[in-house]
Amino acid sequence: MAGSLQVLPGAAPRASGAAGGAEVDVRTVTKRFGTVVAVSAVSLTVRGGEFFSLLGPSGCGKTTTLRIIGGFEHADEGDVAIDGRLMGRTPPNRRETNMVFQRLALFPHYSVFDNIAFGLRMKRLSETEVRRRVNEALELVRLVGLEGRRIGELSGGQQQRVALARALVNRPRVLLLDEPLSALDLKLRLQMQDELKRLQRELGTTFLYVTHDQGEALAMSDRIGVMDGGRLLQVGTPMEIYERPATRFVANFIGDANLIDGVVEQVEEDLAAVRTSAGVVRARRQGGEQPGEAVAVCVRPERLQLAPPGGGLSALVEDRAFSGLVVRYRLAAGPLRLHAAVPYHSGTPLWQGGDTVTVAWDPRQAVVVRER
Amino acid sequence: MKLSGTAVLGLLAPGLAAMAVLYVVPLGVYFVNSFHVFRDGRILPVWTFQTYLDYFTDPFSYKVIAESVRLSLVVTGLALAIGYPVAYALQTRVRATGTRALLALLLFSPLLVSVVVRTYGWLILLASQGLVNTALRAVGVIDEPLSLLFNTRGVVISLTHIMLPFAIFPIYSVMGRLDRDLKDAATDLGAGWWEAFRHVTLPLTMPGVVAGALICFTLALSAFVTPRLLGGGRVQVLPRMVYNNTVEINWPAGAVSGLVLLALSMAAVWALNAVLRRLPSV
Repeated sequence: MAGSLQVLPGAAPRASGAAGGAEVDVRTVTKRFGTVVAVSAVSLTVRGGEFFSLLGPSGCGKTTTLRIIGGFEHADEGDVAIDGRLMGRTPPNRRETNMVFQRLALFPHYSVFDNIAFGLRMKRLSETEVRRRVNEALELVRLVGLEGRRIGELSGGQQQRVALARALVNRPRVLLLDEPLSALDLKLRLQMQDELKRLQRELGTTFLYVTHDQGEALAMSDRIGVMDGGRLLQVGTPMEIYERPATRFVANFIGDANLIDGVVEQVEEDLAAVRTSAGVVRARRQGGEQPGEAVAVCVRPERLQLAPPGGGLSALVEDRAFSGLVVRYRLAAGPLRLHAAVPYHSGTPLWQGGDTVTVAWDPRQAVVVRER
Repeated sequence: MKLSGTAVLGLLAPGLAAMAVLYVVPLGVYFVNSFHVFRDGRILPVWTFQTYLDYFTDPFSYKVIAESVRLSLVVTGLALAIGYPVAYALQTRVRATGTRALLALLLFSPLLVSVVVRTYGWLILLASQGLVNTALRAVGVIDEPLSLLFNTRGVVISLTHIMLPFAIFPIYSVMGRLDRDLKDAATDLGAGWWEAFRHVTLPLTMPGVVAGALICFTLALSAFVTPRLLGGGRVQVLPRMVYNNTVEINWPAGAVSGLVLLALSMAAVWALNAVLRRLPSV
């Protein structure tokens, strides 16, 4: 090997031609289970080759939406189009999608090889072709050498890779992932996030990823759809959603947020003045706000600036926590509770519990969020 | 909590005592008797292999063994063939858990009725003027009444019915523990219903099938009432031999027949356990 370039495993599958990611168009899909509305008029377009995450708390309808796209559930209203073709009641085995299940659902009576080969054998490919493609997939997920193992003999991370390979080996146009990393410990989860990102880039497949972990969604996704109570609240890039959360729920769910309740007093060109318990506060508008409307001003903890007392909003330092990268302060400004995260450099003087500070922020770093 | 040795012994004692009195002692009596002989209406307490020798040199013994095993195999096969779809339907097609529990209860309710009563029930149903024949004639399937009583057919029908809950229950329980995502995964990977069933559901529910087979086979092998009542004199199975010998006070011959029955049951248990060990655990 000396002197030669190391060939990245996984380079091969791309050359052998994945068909490219398909566009997924969810058209006003509603799904009820009995009297419970699991998914409520969700419309959503996932672009071909995109890494899209559906993010929300458990029971928000994200998994049901994914299962409707995969063909495991049928929408009561609306439909799903994959690359423009309406799916209707097309069963999962006739869709160009493959799913990685939350509990993986690997076949316990099969070896790693036979698990991965399952889809190819269902397609009646020749055993030579099956062997070639399974080996390719094994390389792709870095499991070469483990093909003879039983599923029970693998670690959680390895099982995760088998589940990925079992789906990807079929070269789906859309890969559906239902919280596949939730069973892994933090370190392995971060490693698998990188791995997923790499696979998605290499294969160009559309990834539709369901998660309740906002950090995971922010780190991996091209775009995110935030869901709650069966409804899709906001779709955007991680940065858009972090910077301009559409509603209080989104602001709270994505990242940490200081939410200061108030009433819109005056609407300016791109800022709004909001009367709050901390006085009149100015923040960026998102459009549509009316004077008199009850809203909240969202300021991210890292946007708060703390200064020695004097003028402005005065607050009492209640508590301090050091986490290496930043120092977190819990502050009380009258009835208002605020969180601040101040970048830490060695030698930075720290505030103590009981200190009084002045809290300030750039109005352009704050944003008005509506209730819904 | 860890129990002390004495406490464990205390808990086990009633069961062990019952086993000793009701099982080990009679088995011992059997064993002893099998080495005696029956001559001129009396049991001679001599120690000999003569009764075994007589038993295994009599072609009739083999006929009875073959008949017993054949009957048990057929009944087991039928009970599994009917029971598997029932368990499958119950677990996969009945969504409401309440309905499922009710249906399961209904399926197992025959167990609350004595075998004797159920067998008499079949006696009425299977008679030449009984419900089965009348119904079949009414729909024109047959012209002459089928002879379903006092032959193997009636015994098979009735025994299968009696064994059915024992076939369904283990399959039902294993199927209930099966991760439903597995079937979805198979479908997702391109399998149709049949392929998903053949490659995933069936192999992973085999432990239930084997357990059901074990229970059905051993119970059918030792069934006495049904072959006796529905078979008339024509269905000769091992338990009947044991009974006949015993009422004739020919305890040695009865003991040998009984031990053969026990050996067959144990062989079945051993064989099916060996199969079970080689199956994947879900």
